[in-house]
Amino acid sequence: MTECALEIEGVTKRYGTFTAVDNLSVRVPAGSIYGFLGPNGAGKTTTLRMVLEILKPTSGSIQVLGSSSALDVRDRIGYLPEEKGLYKKMKAWASVAYFASLKGMPRKAAATRAYELLNRYGLGDFADSKVEALSKGMSQKVQVIGAIAHDPDFVILDEPFSGLDPVNQQVMEELILDMAARGRTVIFSTHVMSHAERICDRILLIARGQKAFDGTLDEARATIPKRVLIGSPDSLEPLKELPSVLEIRRVEEVSGGSSLVEVLLGEAGDPQGILQTCISKGIRLKSFDHTDPTLHDVFVHLVGDEAREARAR
Amino acid sequence: MRYAFYVAIREFAENVRTKGFWVGLLMFPVILVLAIKVPQLLEEKATPTRNFVLVDASGEYEGAIEDALRRHHAERTLKALGAYGRKYGEIPDGIVGPNLEELPAVDVDKILSDYFASNSEVVDVFLASGGAEAAIRAMDSFLVAEAPEFEEPRHLFKRVALPRNLANGANFDDLVNPLRSFLLGEESFLQNGEPVELFAAILIPDNVAGAVQRGSALPFLEGNEVSIQYWAPNQADDSLLDLVKLAVNKEVRRSEYKANGIDADAVREVEAIRIPVTRLNPKKEAGEEEVSMADLVREWAPLGFVYLLWVALMTISQMLLNNTIEEKSNRIVEVLLSSVTATELMAGKLMGIAGVGLTMLFSWVISLIGVLSFMAGPETEWAGHLLEILVSSGFLTFFVLYFLLGYLLYAGIFLAIGSVCNTLKEAQNFMGAIMIFMMVPLLTMAFIPKDPHGPLATTLSWIPFYTPFVMMNRAAADPPLFDLIGTTVVLAISVVGMLWLSGKVFRAGILRTGQPPRFLELLRWIRG
Repeated sequence: MTECALEIEGVTKRYGTFTAVDNLSVRVPAGSIYGFLGPNGAGKTTTLRMVLEILKPTSGSIQVLGSSSALDVRDRIGYLPEEKGLYKKMKAWASVAYFASLKGMPRKAAATRAYELLNRYGLGDFADSKVEALSKGMSQKVQVIGAIAHDPDFVILDEPFSGLDPVNQQVMEELILDMAARGRTVIFSTHVMSHAERICDRILLIARGQKAFDGTLDEARATIPKRVLIGSPDSLEPLKELPSVLEIRRVEEVSGGSSLVEVLLGEAGDPQGILQTCISKGIRLKSFDHTDPTLHDVFVHLVGDEAREARAR
Repeated sequence: MRYAFYVAIREFAENVRTKGFWVGLLMFPVILVLAIKVPQLLEEKATPTRNFVLVDASGEYEGAIEDALRRHHAERTLKALGAYGRKYGEIPDGIVGPNLEELPAVDVDKILSDYFASNSEVVDVFLASGGAEAAIRAMDSFLVAEAPEFEEPRHLFKRVALPRNLANGANFDDLVNPLRSFLLGEESFLQNGEPVELFAAILIPDNVAGAVQRGSALPFLEGNEVSIQYWAPNQADDSLLDLVKLAVNKEVRRSEYKANGIDADAVREVEAIRIPVTRLNPKKEAGEEEVSMADLVREWAPLGFVYLLWVALMTISQMLLNNTIEEKSNRIVEVLLSSVTATELMAGKLMGIAGVGLTMLFSWVISLIGVLSFMAGPETEWAGHLLEILVSSGFLTFFVLYFLLGYLLYAGIFLAIGSVCNTLKEAQNFMGAIMIFMMVPLLTMAFIPKDPHGPLATTLSWIPFYTPFVMMNRAAADPPLFDLIGTTVVLAISVVGMLWLSGKVFRAGILRTGQPPRFLELLRWIRG
């Protein structure tokens, strides 16, 4: 296995005058779980389609599993598209077996495997039902199973969690972790940060077709300054004297005459010191919160403006 | 190409599993049986007995009409007896059914009618010797044991008596009004106390002999002061009218012969003589040029093939369209395209649906053979011959060739349409135009065999969209080799071109969502 499952090098995709993906580069190490995050319309799906060679990039190069063409290694790739769909009249097991056989699995083996996986993921009773008789969540599970039935080395999941209930979202997470544990590479796109936060090794954040961030979760969190949230009826002006405090922002009024204030800290900032200063200056504290920023915060921090703009467009 | 093959297998398996496919498959023999049986049944059962009143004030023609009715019924009984005998008679060893190759090209029913008309003594003898009953007694020893009882055909026409209050010989002007209400059903017409439907009233005035028209008169230009009146609200069924006309004219001619001192029987005998005319076709081998029934089958069979071709092509092109739209609207196509290329997908679909079409055609041929052998009863030979003719004529080869080429051409169009439409509804817009275009071969189907090398046939042959149908249509007439090869080459080139074009549209359109592309955009896809 190559060191990188996927190398995207300066890829651009234009539709007429509209640039969907703009000079994007990313390397996905083999065996990692990589989250492709970004607001709606950021170019995630277009990027994934280019990786699969369903679309051709306008410029730039893509190497998948060491090959310059995904078609040469298509049997080793599994793909779950964003918009899920199956043949309505086909039976669940036959749908899975069909997709697996299109990935080079012998037809008999594909059928056996289909039943096995449907059983494993709790759809054993529906294996012989037609897809049209399944609920949306069930048929989505069938499609996920169809995407991984041939045990691919490299799995691309476009919005795998959408449409699943919390229990099945959990199942989906386990499925991804399980594949990574067996040395497979998984890329998935989502705009639900909590999933990415729980299972990703690395994330790529795209906005307006451009890379906004690429790295590990910790690196992502480091992109926004440390902060503490303080609830107090008193003024926090005295904290400004501390060298590590960059900015003090009132977030909202809280009942009882106090307000919630965000204190942004520099690299050397220490929440402990802030607390001490508060106490020594006699500032009454209603609350004091210095949890790490979540991926959600990172997302809003990095691409919040773009996301809002995209929505307004 | 292995993946295209998998796509093909799925397309095939899923489509032969649909209800529509099986309905199409089973409808064919059912329709075939119905097409043969229903007219027979209608003739036997559904034609009602026509009740009519006859008032002959002249007294000259009543007898002739009555006689004609008797003979008409006797002829029908004789034909029915013949059919009964053929069906239930024991066939002695060594005697086989008629060989179509040797049977001259004739209409058996017409020949029989002609025969009875010119050999009236046959009917006389039949009637004199006791009619159907006597005939059945005579046939009895030749019938198979399980033969059902012979059923005499119903009387098609029945003369009913006028109601008592409308005494015979009354003035016609007084008769017309009450008859009108009977004929229109406003008043029920009672016969032996039972109401019956009165079909017609025939009124012959007493001075009608004076109104006889001579050959020099153009009947429709001169108003008829006096004539036989045939009153009937149903003017579509004129079999009674014809019968009456024939009988009356025969009678008036007979008396004219008599008046001129001519022996009417001698004239009739003379009228019955004929010189045989044989249909010969110079295309056939020397010594065997006589046109046989088999030749007629050969001449008209392509028409059936054209129709089958059309139905089959329409059916499976529609399947292709539906599947493509399903894949597109359900977004299945994206998964497929991560596994196969658009070209492989298209090739797979083309192959799979072609397989469905061939299966359908094959089963149609099988059921055709089945139905023919079943319908032919003991004379299975007949069906065998028919099949032999079809196979030996080379029509089947043409049929399969034109089916495949025609399919690929139309499939190209339908795939392209399917790939640019998101819903069947959108596709219907395109379909309307295409259907009008595709009706042409059906509309011209019946004319082409009559002038198989004429301007219409030749022109249409060279239009690739019509080549399969029209060339199939012309197949019986041995089209010139130039047309045969030339049109096929043009068709093949068009197929390649069409698939190339639709491949371009397919690849560009299949992932697209939203409105179908505009024409200029399509052009860009094709160029790009």
